[in-house]
Amino acid sequence: MTDTILSLSDARLSLDGNAGRVEILKGITLDIVRGETVGMVGPSGSGKSSLLMLMGGLERATGGQVRALGHDLTALGEDALARFRREHMGVVFQSFHLIPTMTALENVATPLELAGKADAFERAAEELKAMGLTSRMDHYPAQMSGGEQQRVALARAFAPRPDILLADEPTGNLDTTTGQTIMDLLFGLRDRHGATLVLVTHAPELAERCDRVIRLEDGQLVPETALKAEAAE
Amino acid sequence: MSLAVAGRIARRELRGGIRGFRVFLACLALGVAAIAAVGSVRESIRVGLEREGSVILGGDAELELTYRFAEPEELAWMAETASAMTEVVDFRSMAVFGAGDSAERGLTQVKAVDDAYPLLGVARLQPDMDLGVALDGRDGLPGAVMDPVLISRLGIATGETFRLGEQDFVLTAALMREPDSATGGFTLGPRTIVRTDDLAESGLIQPGTLFETEYKLLLPEDTDLDALKIAAGKVFTGAHWRDRRNGSPGVARFVDRLGSFLVLVGLAGLAVGGVGVSAAVRAYLDEKTEVIATLKTLGAESRTIFQTYFIQIGVLTLVGLALGLVLGAALPIVFAPLIEARLPVPTEIALHPRPLAEAALYGALAALIFTIWPLARTEDVRAATLFRGGAGQSRSLPRAVWITVTLLLLGALVAAAALFSGLVDLTVYSALGLCAAFVVLVLAAALVRRLARRAARASALRGRSALRLALGSVGGPGGEALSVILSLGLGLAVLAAVGQIDANLRGAIARDLPDIAPSFFMVDIQPDQMEDFAARLAADPAIEKVESAPMLRGIVTEINGRPAEEVAGDHWVLHGDRGVTYSDLKPDNAVLTEGEWWPADFNGDPEISFAAEEAAELGLKLGDRITVNILGRDITATITSLRVVDFSTAGIGFVMSMNPTAVAGAPHTFISTVYADSDAEGAILRYISNAYPNVTAIRVKDAIERVSELLAGIAAAITYGALATLVTGGIVLIGAAAAGVRARTYEAAILKTIGASRRTILVSFALRSAFLGAAAGLVAIIAGGLAGWGVMRFVMDADFAFEPVSAFAIVVGGVLATLLAGLAFAWGPLAARPAGILRSRE
Repeated sequence: MTDTILSLSDARLSLDGNAGRVEILKGITLDIVRGETVGMVGPSGSGKSSLLMLMGGLERATGGQVRALGHDLTALGEDALARFRREHMGVVFQSFHLIPTMTALENVATPLELAGKADAFERAAEELKAMGLTSRMDHYPAQMSGGEQQRVALARAFAPRPDILLADEPTGNLDTTTGQTIMDLLFGLRDRHGATLVLVTHAPELAERCDRVIRLEDGQLVPETALKAEAAE
Repeated sequence: MSLAVAGRIARRELRGGIRGFRVFLACLALGVAAIAAVGSVRESIRVGLEREGSVILGGDAELELTYRFAEPEELAWMAETASAMTEVVDFRSMAVFGAGDSAERGLTQVKAVDDAYPLLGVARLQPDMDLGVALDGRDGLPGAVMDPVLISRLGIATGETFRLGEQDFVLTAALMREPDSATGGFTLGPRTIVRTDDLAESGLIQPGTLFETEYKLLLPEDTDLDALKIAAGKVFTGAHWRDRRNGSPGVARFVDRLGSFLVLVGLAGLAVGGVGVSAAVRAYLDEKTEVIATLKTLGAESRTIFQTYFIQIGVLTLVGLALGLVLGAALPIVFAPLIEARLPVPTEIALHPRPLAEAALYGALAALIFTIWPLARTEDVRAATLFRGGAGQSRSLPRAVWITVTLLLLGALVAAAALFSGLVDLTVYSALGLCAAFVVLVLAAALVRRLARRAARASALRGRSALRLALGSVGGPGGEALSVILSLGLGLAVLAAVGQIDANLRGAIARDLPDIAPSFFMVDIQPDQMEDFAARLAADPAIEKVESAPMLRGIVTEINGRPAEEVAGDHWVLHGDRGVTYSDLKPDNAVLTEGEWWPADFNGDPEISFAAEEAAELGLKLGDRITVNILGRDITATITSLRVVDFSTAGIGFVMSMNPTAVAGAPHTFISTVYADSDAEGAILRYISNAYPNVTAIRVKDAIERVSELLAGIAAAITYGALATLVTGGIVLIGAAAAGVRARTYEAAILKTIGASRRTILVSFALRSAFLGAAAGLVAIIAGGLAGWGVMRFVMDADFAFEPVSAFAIVVGGVLATLLAGLAFAWGPLAARPAGILRSRE
């Protein structure tokens, strides 16, 4: 029996822009099972990142339902969503989004602390060590290279051992070699810890490393049959 | 060429509006406005005093004699010279209302006048009537008018009678405004006006009694005042000359000093504002990094870039100065009725260009000082920034040339302040104090950051996320620690210094002095009363000690044959008349530091024993000859000894003591200090004033209260000045909090993403603000305490005790101010949804 961990049903997202209300996601229905790795591709502006944000509860759906681990994210309040993420989700961004006033060690330890882990700093140090960042633990984000910052971000996302890891173009701001290293680390960690991974990417070769690839166009999912036909060609 | 290009680019850049410069403009405008307003009020008083010089003086010129009336030849000279003249007798006495034990007694400064008084102006009475009519009295009793303060103190009503010495008077009206009040209201006793003739039977004006006679003259219009002063000097001996050009020198000097001091406090405000100005320019230029890099890519030289932004900041500085000047000039005019009602001196509130120019100069120099360094940072922006990032990475100090320029500008500002205020020492010390405070605050901010960073990593704090987050952000890079601690710390430090000095001064006068000071000064005791008076007091068991001494008053006119002021300058001993005593034998408590007391029954040339400290200040030594004018007679005496005189205990202390034969024949009275239980003071006052109506008892507690009131007024004025500094600090604080919103919104978004609740984030923001406020407050009380100690120790020559109440209030105030500013700007970051924030940064 398959264990659905993320389930979207007719999920919609509209935002008010300068040119009026814009429909960004137009009824997404999607199930992701525990342990699966899903690559999300599509042209710029197709709604990939928005969909990822809906999955993480960082954006609230304006229609439909988003369920994660059985919880209806659309019904949870701001703080309940924060607690949910603390316990079950990790997020990695293209721009790393480390807290600029905290050292690498503090950045990684913070989610563990928020989750009430007594050994937050010890675990954070181990994570950073595993990332090869022992010498950078006391450095602030501004004192590190892009690759190093993203490795800290990965450590921060994986440290609480999340059930779901959402990654939004994690190599988008990095050169090819560094990007490759980051992706190896990302998949290695996922394999080790067995988290469900949803990866937004522009790079087809990265998407291919996933169990399943979904494609978004103009706020809608391209049916898998179409994708398979495309692949066959 | 480059300047023209820079001007064009600057104009285009300014199209973006002045958004982000609100704090810049507010800080500059407020600092300039405070200085302009204080300067305008000071100038208004100066012009008012000058315009009303004749009215304040009560004539075009005045000759004041010490406890004597003018001799016939002096009167004849005045009658010949002046077109009109009035004689005013001024002395202290006791007003007694009622009889027996229930009688109320109050110290009063009596002004006894003739029918010609006042020559100028009018006495405003309530009920409204002519002064002459009021003094005529009724039912056969002479009339008197009294200051409302004394009326309420005695509990007397108009129509009732009271006594001065042995003469009854009927109170006919309250004296609402005295036409000639050169003291500006700063006297120990409230005023009573009576006719001199009506005092004939009072027993108050006798030989040796302490009184002054003032002859006020109206002069023909074309009179040469300088020539007349010289002519008067030949006719009168020991007379003090004043004329309309400076009718109230004491008040004018006081107002000028206080005004100048407030301008210096205003400069502290401008320094605080400078922190905001500097932060605003820094933030603006940080945002412009890409524009600057682009301009450099397009071929702009560093010089052009500097000029471009210098012109922009210059235009904004002009706007800020203009706003400040308009505000500073308008405030006194708008509040003119309120200011005029509160001040006991005439004012001419109008647009005075001089203080405005002064404020504009200070504002412009301060703006330059605080913007040069951020502007110099534009030199560090490289074109490559566009391609490989690195915004905001520049040297911590600008090139040496900019440091030199800043120091030169600072020197110019201090020089201008010293020149305009005329208080060179105070200005230099204030400037050094401010610079030291700046350095201390910068170091303190660095220390706070270091400690916070260390604490954030302490294992004890692990698990306390909100606390660690707060400490982490205080200690982390790009924090607000420096600007908050600088702006708030400087404002609070000024306030703390004022609080410490005020508390210590008041403590010394109101708390410590009564323990060592006598209960009463009894003056005008006639020599024939002395024996009986001493016996009566000795018999009173409530009296611990009585010290008495004969007292004359004299003016030091010459030192070694040369005019005294020429030799020793503007020393207080030479201002007006001083008490002189005599003693055949060295008093038991006298301590000689040099020389020897004259032998008993000494009958040689006059000798004098001088107070050692004052002698040193005046440059006097043993063997010097001093000429003292007593009752119109010059007595020249040789200094044969110097002795310790301690004025701080408020006991009897005479700067000059002579051998008895030197002043033989001069009418004089005795002065006594009475040390008694405070419970017995009322009874002593009663029986002394009943038995000796001519004796004036000055209750030291009342005098201390009066001095404390005056000090409280000065402290209030300075506190208002310091509050202006604090308001500027508040604006800088709000500016810093507003500038931090973007960073905090971002931080909150990340924290929410990794699972922090809004409560955790809010608590962390609140703790961060509170830490910074507490740090600013703590540094402020240390800096303020040091300044207070310095002023008390070196300026006031008094002990210093740290005053905890105002210090505590300042720390709490600092915490509250930052907390409010921080929380006011916390709601936005808390409410923002993380997705939008994070994606906008992608």
